[in-house]
Amino acid sequence: MEERMNSKDVQIHINHVGMTFKDNKGNDMEALKDINLDIKKGEFISLLGPSGCGKTTLLRIIADLLKPTKGSVRIDGMMPREIRMQQKFGIVFQSPVLLDWRTVRKNIELPLEIMHYDAQRLPERSAEMLKLVGLEEFANHYPKQLSGGMQQRVGIARALGIEPELLLMDEPFSALDEFTKEKLHVDMLDIWEKTNKTIIFVTHNIQEAVFLSNRICVLSPHPGRLSAVVDVDLPKKRTLDIRDTLHFSELVAKVRNSFEGGSL
Amino acid sequence: MKKIRKLGQKKWLVTLVWVIGIVIVWEIMAFRVAAVKRTPENILPHIYQILYSFIDSSPVAGGQTALMVVASNAVATLLRAAVGFLLGMGLGFVLALLMKLSGIIEKLAFPYLMLIQMIPILGMAPIILSLTGDIGTSRIIIAAILTFYPVAANTLAGLKSVETEKYELMYSYAAPKRMIYTKVLIPACLPYFFTGLKIAAPMAITASILVDTLQGDGGLGCMLSQSLRHAMSIYVFWDIVLVSAVIGILSTKLMGWIEDLVSPLKRIDRQIGRRGGK
Repeated sequence: MEERMNSKDVQIHINHVGMTFKDNKGNDMEALKDINLDIKKGEFISLLGPSGCGKTTLLRIIADLLKPTKGSVRIDGMMPREIRMQQKFGIVFQSPVLLDWRTVRKNIELPLEIMHYDAQRLPERSAEMLKLVGLEEFANHYPKQLSGGMQQRVGIARALGIEPELLLMDEPFSALDEFTKEKLHVDMLDIWEKTNKTIIFVTHNIQEAVFLSNRICVLSPHPGRLSAVVDVDLPKKRTLDIRDTLHFSELVAKVRNSFEGGSL
Repeated sequence: MKKIRKLGQKKWLVTLVWVIGIVIVWEIMAFRVAAVKRTPENILPHIYQILYSFIDSSPVAGGQTALMVVASNAVATLLRAAVGFLLGMGLGFVLALLMKLSGIIEKLAFPYLMLIQMIPILGMAPIILSLTGDIGTSRIIIAAILTFYPVAANTLAGLKSVETEKYELMYSYAAPKRMIYTKVLIPACLPYFFTGLKIAAPMAITASILVDTLQGDGGLGCMLSQSLRHAMSIYVFWDIVLVSAVIGILSTKLMGWIEDLVSPLKRIDRQIGRRGGK
């Protein structure tokens, strides 16, 4: 499976990426095999697949949290490491990973402090981010005083605060209840529209992937490989009721059928 | 039954029951000892006698009242303990950081730290005294040694408690090592550090009192052994025991108050009434 496009639009170029881990018995475990994928600037890409398909591994390779054993990734023509050193990655983890002793505002300011952002403009910047995720009133709360959904929103605000080139999200909503998740899905689309960031979103939920993304990369396990790329031709502005349309169900079915062997 | 359980949740009430219980047992013993005493003074005086001795204006030694003796010697003991405590605290914290920075230092240092901890103070004190030749210095050193281990061990545990995700977060922002320490590791280990201080504070004081007994240059321990040998009123002995216990408890409390001032974590936990959760 290859997904190639006109090279001038491409922001992320994933070229023959393979990843082999050693398990505890010393045997080779092929987590990813020959992944080829081009991602355009401003896309909302979902990496979708069952557990063990290597979707998180792929995200971590893009984020320079892992080095691939084969192939390479180029982002704007640079190595992931260079992009990371320039502090151009915004990562949202599965758990919010907030610092308990910092207020919501101070948590959002953490990466800005690391990159020596102008201290005088710091409060203004964090206020802007708080507004984006709708947590203005909670600026001086501590993470433990917030619900799981709010904590994850702080994580998103923190990731966006540094104006990243790329927003990488690793199953950010999987631990949340259905209602909170829906709310955050709508928020996410809103944020995508407002900021126009390239977003790579890892998930194992087909509906979530269809609702959020403009392209879905379907990964299959053992070894993890790209088995299909599905374009989601829904309008960019989406509301929750779009999930009740026939077209949405057709897309979900199409994605489901694209898993190798037809089903999971 | 339900009412009793509800009452049991009131902290002050539990304390009150304990105090009353101890007073009753104490007084029974005091009467019993008084009945068989062979000395002019009751070796186990009644509680009111002990309390009265604090405000008694008759001199017990060198023209000083019991209160003056206890207070001046308590200050001496506390100052020495405090110097040793601060020294041990600083060294313990720095060593914990070094052990975190380097696995080799941890492997080299940690087993010996535990060994030092196992030598009884009574055995260690004369050795250190003969090494330094000065009782004041050895008192400080012993208080420092006793403080050092709980602080280092707890702080190290705190530094190690930081989850991988937090490192990855800092890594993804290309944070330099210095910032990982100042912004994540050190704030994260503070509650553990204070746990170490709370354990160490009364130990440093006890050690200081124990070393006092070795040589007659003042301090609570010195007065303690003198009063036991009937060089002074028996009440002084009990006054010192009481004061030492109170100081020990207060020293732990003091660490808690300082923690409240320094670290916001405890305040938040209390606010949401979910202490120690997570």
